[in-house]
Amino acid sequence: MTPLALPRRLRTPLARLTLRQRFYVIAIILLIPALALRTFTAFYPFIQTAYLSLHKYNPAFDHNGPVFTGLNNFQRIANDPVVRASIGYTLLFVVAATFLQLTLGLAVAHLLNAPFRLKALSRTLVLIPWAIPMVIAALGFRWMFDDQFGMIPDLLRRGLGVQMKWLIDPYNAKLAVISVAVWKSTPFVALVLLAGLQGISQDLYEAAKVDGATRFTSLRFITIPMLMPLLITTGMFMVVWQLAVFDLPFLMTGGGPGFSTTVIAQKIYLESNSLNYGYAASIGMVLVGIVAVVGAIGLWLFRRFDVSE
Amino acid sequence: MNSKKEVSVKGMSRRTFLKGTAGSIAAALAASGPGQLLAKGIYAPTVIRQNKTVVLAIQEFAHDAIKAVLPDFEKDTGLTVTLEGGPVSGNDMLTKYAPAFASGESPVDVVSDADDSGPTFMRAGYMLSLEDVIPQETWDDFPESMGGQIEKFHSFDGQRYRVPHEFAIGYFFTRKDWLDEKNLKAPTTWEEMVEIGKEFADPANSVWGTTDGLIKPALLYVYVAYLTAQSGGDVFAFDEATGEALQFLYDMIYTHKIFPEDALNQDYTAQNQLYMGDKVAFMRQWPFFQGVAEGDKEWFKPEKLTIELPPAGPAGSKAWWGGWGFSIPAFAPNMDGAKELIKYLTSNEIAPKLAEGQSWFIMPRTSILSAFEGQDNPIVTAMGVYAEAGVPAARPFHPRVAEAQTIVDDAASQFLTKQLSLADALKYGQEQIAALGE
Repeated sequence: MTPLALPRRLRTPLARLTLRQRFYVIAIILLIPALALRTFTAFYPFIQTAYLSLHKYNPAFDHNGPVFTGLNNFQRIANDPVVRASIGYTLLFVVAATFLQLTLGLAVAHLLNAPFRLKALSRTLVLIPWAIPMVIAALGFRWMFDDQFGMIPDLLRRGLGVQMKWLIDPYNAKLAVISVAVWKSTPFVALVLLAGLQGISQDLYEAAKVDGATRFTSLRFITIPMLMPLLITTGMFMVVWQLAVFDLPFLMTGGGPGFSTTVIAQKIYLESNSLNYGYAASIGMVLVGIVAVVGAIGLWLFRRFDVSE
Repeated sequence: MNSKKEVSVKGMSRRTFLKGTAGSIAAALAASGPGQLLAKGIYAPTVIRQNKTVVLAIQEFAHDAIKAVLPDFEKDTGLTVTLEGGPVSGNDMLTKYAPAFASGESPVDVVSDADDSGPTFMRAGYMLSLEDVIPQETWDDFPESMGGQIEKFHSFDGQRYRVPHEFAIGYFFTRKDWLDEKNLKAPTTWEEMVEIGKEFADPANSVWGTTDGLIKPALLYVYVAYLTAQSGGDVFAFDEATGEALQFLYDMIYTHKIFPEDALNQDYTAQNQLYMGDKVAFMRQWPFFQGVAEGDKEWFKPEKLTIELPPAGPAGSKAWWGGWGFSIPAFAPNMDGAKELIKYLTSNEIAPKLAEGQSWFIMPRTSILSAFEGQDNPIVTAMGVYAEAGVPAARPFHPRVAEAQTIVDDAASQFLTKQLSLADALKYGQEQIAALGE
């Protein structure tokens, strides 16, 4: 058997290797492009960020290059009210938005899974918010929440008699930003969960019905367990994705009022825009830490619910 | 027909394809010049192509005025000028260009740079000193009153890095038609602004005495610094007069209700919409508003847009001024072309032509004022009136200007949205400014 026999002119040092060695050489050669790509786009930036986070460096002021300051940047973070507030709001944003996106997404998926006319059209229409670029959505909602120009305060005032200042009240502004994120991404979650719902056999529901199960018990004991791998995967995706949110709050409120809707990514942006690369890197490392913790929880959930199987 | 022949007839073999691809890449590398490639990486071909091209980045609305003066330059120098849409704020400038400059590259040769990014770029060594580029006669064309500002915002370490091409000052636009109707005169003091504002304010119908765009980032700073100039304070010191200015703004919003609370999350577009929607009696706005308002031919009438002196605070009728200017990045690919272009655009012959083409370029330069003599241009007239009344105040300076402005934004926003008391907001500002360390 000579499947890897080489022509005479190609009998180079490679030909002297064993079949197993040749396999490794080829495997390494094939891996090099991917490794190079990850090195330049992930490993190198990470190492550089970690390095800068331990240094004081602003090219406008530190003309001799980065100065090693140990953990000073992290100490400064602990005393920086804007960073502390931004971490708090980022976590609130991620948890609240993801929970609502999954809950409402499941509800919408159920609606779209029901038999009715114009189902295909409805599924398309539901996706519209997802298709709108975030920048446009954020600017549009900034006007829509405006008390003088906006339709949302106007509708609430006329329809429900509710008088609320939205984007100039610290608590309402937080709520407004989260609600836009939910409006924007719920259709995506719904579509993913709809695919999962369609994979659940109707036999299970019919058998449960025979056993006297209500719609709620069917949801609790059939739908949610069957969708759990998908819920975890989608939930993790939304959490990690939204931890780096920037465009929505920045364009809707500029991080205000005060810094009540400032997120971590915006603080990093502001610092790096002032060329405070050392301090920006250290805030970036905090974000990496948060993502790592969330990732670990995700891995634990994956194992707990056998998502990978 | 055997299989070999089939391959040669139908297409190339895999080996031929690989050979050909490798050969093509090698040829392309050789043609691009190994020295350039080693020195500049894969961007080398772009650089080579740009040898005869000078790239100027400036806000798009100014392109037509620039294009009108370019033919002579291109004919005389043999260079081609490419215009690129430049950022619209100092923050955007930093976002767009800082990464390239930090890695020793520049996508442009000449750039129109803002007050809140220029000082940072200069300090970082990202800009070229213009000491040997701009002739003295150009600098002499600027009035002496601009000297201090040029030394602070356009220079570093005794070297000039930026030539101003804009003179932006907050003008006080008033509805003369409304005032005449009620037989009133434009307010000349803070107290009058409140009293006359109350004559017009009708919050239930969204009609206000005055307003401004105060959304973060930067816009709230602009207005707080404007009021602080009138109260005689140093906005970056968060001194007593800064507190007075903040309290006055707070009172206009909540006590006298002549200023919409929603302005705290509105930009200049919304502010202008309010004014042009006949909802505001008078307001501070940048000179560009004159063009915006005149552009709405159905609405515009001169009496709807009369420029008056800013209402005087405890320190008088004041408004700070600033603006954009031309710079050359230290890493400009076509340095010689960039020097020629900046010299040309800022010259005493071309500056007036630019000003005639776009009001953004109107400045109190001798050559520009001479060119406009006898013309009825409201901005030029107002510029003269303001200068005569001693209105222009120096833009507040801090070596870390962008960060310092953000601190003012944050402190003022917390106070005006009732998250902090005035005393706590001032204390917060002082502590944060102190933490900047410069």
